[in-house]
Amino acid sequence: MSNYALLNKEQHKDLKIITQRGASYGDNVMHAMTFALEFRDVQSCYPIFFCKDEQTGGLYPTALFGLEQDHNQFLNESGWDATYIPLSVRRHPFLIGFQSASGNGEEQKAPVVSLDMDHPRISDTEGEQLFDDKGEPSKYLQSTIATLENIHRGLEHNKGFIAAILEYELLEPFTLEVTLNNGSTHQLQGFYTIAEEKLHKLDGPALGELNAKGYLQPIFMAVASIARVRTLIDKKNALLNG
Amino acid sequence: MNNTINRLVIVGGGTAGWLTAGVIAAEHSCTSADQHNNFQLSLVESPDIATIGVGEGTWPSMRSTLQKMGISETDFFRECSASFKQGTLFTGWQTGAGDDSYSHPFTAPHGYAETNLAPYWQPQRDKINFADAVGSQSALFEDKLAPKQITTPEYAFHANYGYHLDAGKFAEFLRKHCVEKLGIKHVKANVTGINTADNGDIASIETDSHGSIAGDLFIDCSGSRALLLGQHYDIPICDKNDILFNNTALAAQIPYNNDSDPISSCTLSTAQTAGWIWDIGLPTRRGIGHVYSSAHNSEERAGEELLSYIATTAGPKLAAEATLRKVQFSPGHRTKFWHKNCVAIGMSAGFIEPLEASALVLVELSAAMIAEQLPASRDHMDLVAKRFNDKFLYRWDSIIDFLKLHYILTQRSDTDYWRDNCRTASIPESLQEKVALWRHQSPWHRDSHHVDELFPSASFQYILYGMGFKTKAHHTVRRSDAEAQKVVGRLFQENAARAQQLSGNMPSNRDLIDKIHSYGFQKI
Repeated sequence: MSNYALLNKEQHKDLKIITQRGASYGDNVMHAMTFALEFRDVQSCYPIFFCKDEQTGGLYPTALFGLEQDHNQFLNESGWDATYIPLSVRRHPFLIGFQSASGNGEEQKAPVVSLDMDHPRISDTEGEQLFDDKGEPSKYLQSTIATLENIHRGLEHNKGFIAAILEYELLEPFTLEVTLNNGSTHQLQGFYTIAEEKLHKLDGPALGELNAKGYLQPIFMAVASIARVRTLIDKKNALLNG
Repeated sequence: MNNTINRLVIVGGGTAGWLTAGVIAAEHSCTSADQHNNFQLSLVESPDIATIGVGEGTWPSMRSTLQKMGISETDFFRECSASFKQGTLFTGWQTGAGDDSYSHPFTAPHGYAETNLAPYWQPQRDKINFADAVGSQSALFEDKLAPKQITTPEYAFHANYGYHLDAGKFAEFLRKHCVEKLGIKHVKANVTGINTADNGDIASIETDSHGSIAGDLFIDCSGSRALLLGQHYDIPICDKNDILFNNTALAAQIPYNNDSDPISSCTLSTAQTAGWIWDIGLPTRRGIGHVYSSAHNSEERAGEELLSYIATTAGPKLAAEATLRKVQFSPGHRTKFWHKNCVAIGMSAGFIEPLEASALVLVELSAAMIAEQLPASRDHMDLVAKRFNDKFLYRWDSIIDFLKLHYILTQRSDTDYWRDNCRTASIPESLQEKVALWRHQSPWHRDSHHVDELFPSASFQYILYGMGFKTKAHHTVRRSDAEAQKVVGRLFQENAARAQQLSGNMPSNRDLIDKIHSYGFQKI
């Protein structure tokens, strides 16, 4: 279970965060949430699908790292072998949240940073310092906060993006069936992908609207990313041969 | 002379009227956007007559009915206080001891298309009840679990389901959808007279505030008053009180003690001394009622039985606060439903007790047949009318047989009601024949004479074997038995595994309904 605490200069002044990539740090995941705002980078490494939040049924885009549960094919002994790692992976062990604060009689939501004190990345001995000797946020912390802010923006942008592609019925359920060189088959269910036939039939006004809102480019990025499934299969086959 | 059927007029705006309007408009566009479209659908509703709000339980057919009308299932849940219904749990019907109950789930036995498990279950009948042995749904609703998850798309399911709903809200919800989305013309007026054409058809109806409204086909959804088919055409009612005795209901709405109280995902039907009590769980309240035979029970005693049930299941405080509403009806149906250019749907066509919730499904089926076979011209309307009458007379007979079956297998003899129900004279010959046959062969596909049989043979199995009925084993050794045994063993195992998997993964009915209110279902 997670054990989140608000980030605090006094309490966490000596805390360090391990930034190395590995299974023991929670990186051995099959897929992770991504944001339309980072599709350009994500599609250069991973296939982008859509799946449902089990608690709400809401759809969100996700980057696929492997063909089985709890299996990330980009992980090896020396780390995570890819040129880009999605924001939602990089955020750990931090979380961006919002705290209600009433100022001037108005309810305001202020962003706050929390961290999971039980996360394996938390350490007293190794890793990146959160605060420097003067108690100022370290470069590492500053870049982490930038990541969290990007996630916040990404979540807001995703909301409109998902609503728009659902409205135009641009998502369709999709079952990925993979047959490996050794004859074994893997079936991935519960994923959705861009319905290309519907996409190609969109008329001018619809395309114009999607483009104006910044949704058209990520839609095509997601379509292009499907070619990366090949990368996953090749990696898996290489592992089997190896 | 132009005798094309283009103007449909529905008289009556209850659930039957609006559901009929929606089903027809889902099939035939009546929006004026298309200039070549002359098809018009109007619904005339009296602003002075309150709707009765009959039927708070539906069949699974309601899912596709709503879907075809272009209704969002999320909106439907939110606006009609809807809940999931997966079947019925009958208690006290067999012996009346109170601990005797059985399930009639909506899902047919596992592998039913190819294999009849009933004969293979019989030797194990003392170890496991029929519904649990052959299906996975009874376990779900006995635990008040939902038939799907929030990630399941709207109208899709893990286990087949219909709905419980607030009938008043449902009629209002349908009205809004019909008027705003489907282009149906809503006329608020009282019918004051009927103008007849030379051929005996209804040419138009006179109203108090909108003058005369002409039409090519009139649909009578005016409830038990049956303004057109009954009052105007005088089509008689075929009385069924000698078969199904229940003719009075006392109904109450009971709140939950806590907002988090579980919501049943099936209808609870509990037998009494001279009738039975329904218990329907909505998210906001329970609808509880006692339907009984006034020849066998007094209103006072029936009321006491109902309050005692409420006290036991909801506590004495809510029982003391309960207001009982009385509804009387004559069980029966018209001798025909379509006469001249007028067809009756809903209570104007007939009504029998709410057992197995057949009221709304008959509306859906009647409207669907009109939508599908809408006569192009007056010339062949009589042919469609004849087919309609034949089909629905058969359906009413099927319903009556099926409902009566619930009563005649009882071991109860504690009151005249149960004894009278088992008297041969009160049992239709058609049902007597079926039961005689079922003593030697269990009902299966051969028992369905029509492709669109109202009650599938699986339903008969659930009632028969739930009530402890015994079908004798084959008197010969069948050559196919050895092969069948293997298949059957696999089916029983698969079913047990599926039941466990479903029970482990489905949320509680209350949890899922809360999530529908918070997040809604996805369309995909």
